[in-house]
Amino acid sequence: MKNFLKQHGLWVLFAVAVIAVALAVMSLFSTTSSPLMNLAGIVTSPFRAAYTAVANWFNEKQDYFADVQALREENQALKNQIASMEEDLRQAKSDSEENQRFRKLMNLREKKRDLGDLEPAHILEHSSTNWTSSLTLNQGTEHDVEINDCVITEEGYLVGVVSAVGLNWCTVLTLIDTDTSLGAQVFRTEDIGLAEGDFSLMGQGLLKLSHLPAGTELLGGDLVVTSGLGGYYPSGLVIGSVKEVRLDDSGATQYAVLEPSARFDELVEVFVVKSFEIVS
Amino acid sequence: MIGRSEFYIKWLLYGAATFLMLLLQGFLLQYLRVFGVMPFLYPALAAVLSMYEGAFGGTVYSLVLGVLCDLTLPGPIPCFYTLVFPAAGLCAGLLSKSWLPAGLPCALAVSVVAFALTGSFHALLLAVSGKAAWAAAASTALRETGATLLFVPVVFLLFRKVYRKCHIDD
Repeated sequence: MKNFLKQHGLWVLFAVAVIAVALAVMSLFSTTSSPLMNLAGIVTSPFRAAYTAVANWFNEKQDYFADVQALREENQALKNQIASMEEDLRQAKSDSEENQRFRKLMNLREKKRDLGDLEPAHILEHSSTNWTSSLTLNQGTEHDVEINDCVITEEGYLVGVVSAVGLNWCTVLTLIDTDTSLGAQVFRTEDIGLAEGDFSLMGQGLLKLSHLPAGTELLGGDLVVTSGLGGYYPSGLVIGSVKEVRLDDSGATQYAVLEPSARFDELVEVFVVKSFEIVS
Repeated sequence: MIGRSEFYIKWLLYGAATFLMLLLQGFLLQYLRVFGVMPFLYPALAAVLSMYEGAFGGTVYSLVLGVLCDLTLPGPIPCFYTLVFPAAGLCAGLLSKSWLPAGLPCALAVSVVAFALTGSFHALLLAVSGKAAWAAAASTALRETGATLLFVPVVFLLFRKVYRKCHIDD
């Protein structure tokens, strides 16, 4: 050990320190990914596409031989769900018309969210480490994708936020990643909180809703959406539903465990929200 | 001792072997779940090569591998693998020189050390960022180590082949 340090150790340590600082500085002062990271992403993009294509082919073959009975039962359950949702939709339409009449009576303008420009993107790679939950998409700066753009599914469920972007690729940290946090609102009670990833929940595919107001009463199944506060992300994007309510380590405050509505492992195509507008 | 051209050929072969292992990781291992996690070959690559090439060569290789990982994998900080892999390579090189001769048992042992370092660093960064989850981190690190050790023999055999090809006279 002494001889190694005497002969080479200092040089190796110096090299490590210089490279580490360079990587950190490049990451800090760049609104997109650093040139090296961008180049690495471009070079590895075809390989990631190849991995995913092969995996999807195997999955398709596997699904083809799935149990017919299970598919029949799922089909029936989905039909029942559609019928129930159609009834909810009729009620919602009626409520909306009533809302319009009241707005007109009280001379209130409609506040709505316009998601504006959506860029479809294919998923090149799902999580590549056990310590993060991320997706790599095939769109980047050449299609005006930027860091902090939201990513949603075709149903409008929030998937995550763009954390790194290159020319033809971008990395999305999903909702359950430890580095994700965004303003959230409980749809039923309109309570505001912070939806954030937690490492002990990430392994189970869950996330946490914390910083809830005192006296908040949540029910299992309560829908949680983005609050849109601060204007960083659009409001009303579905995050997930409440699975259970727990007390934190201090025992003084409670937080909710959320189950995301988006099924990250099954995603193939998503949409990047490149711009949005709050009309009020 | 090998000549200059043999030196370049050796590292070219190690590069090709590393590339093969990266393809294995990308095409197969990242879609597998063993003990609930995916096998993660990168720390094992740094450790096993360092076992053969010693502290200096192993540390430099691990540094390069760490930089590549930082450029292509998401991490808690921009230089995560750049910092932890050279440390793992150094430990592996020193252990194989002084404690256990290079071979499959040593490859498994140094891989465990590499994963211990990587997992500890992950857990430490979580704690520093106010999101401490020691139990979950330990569980993930242990399962990741167990899942990857099943594939370390493949890495060992490949790197041993390269080492023996290039060190015939040793």
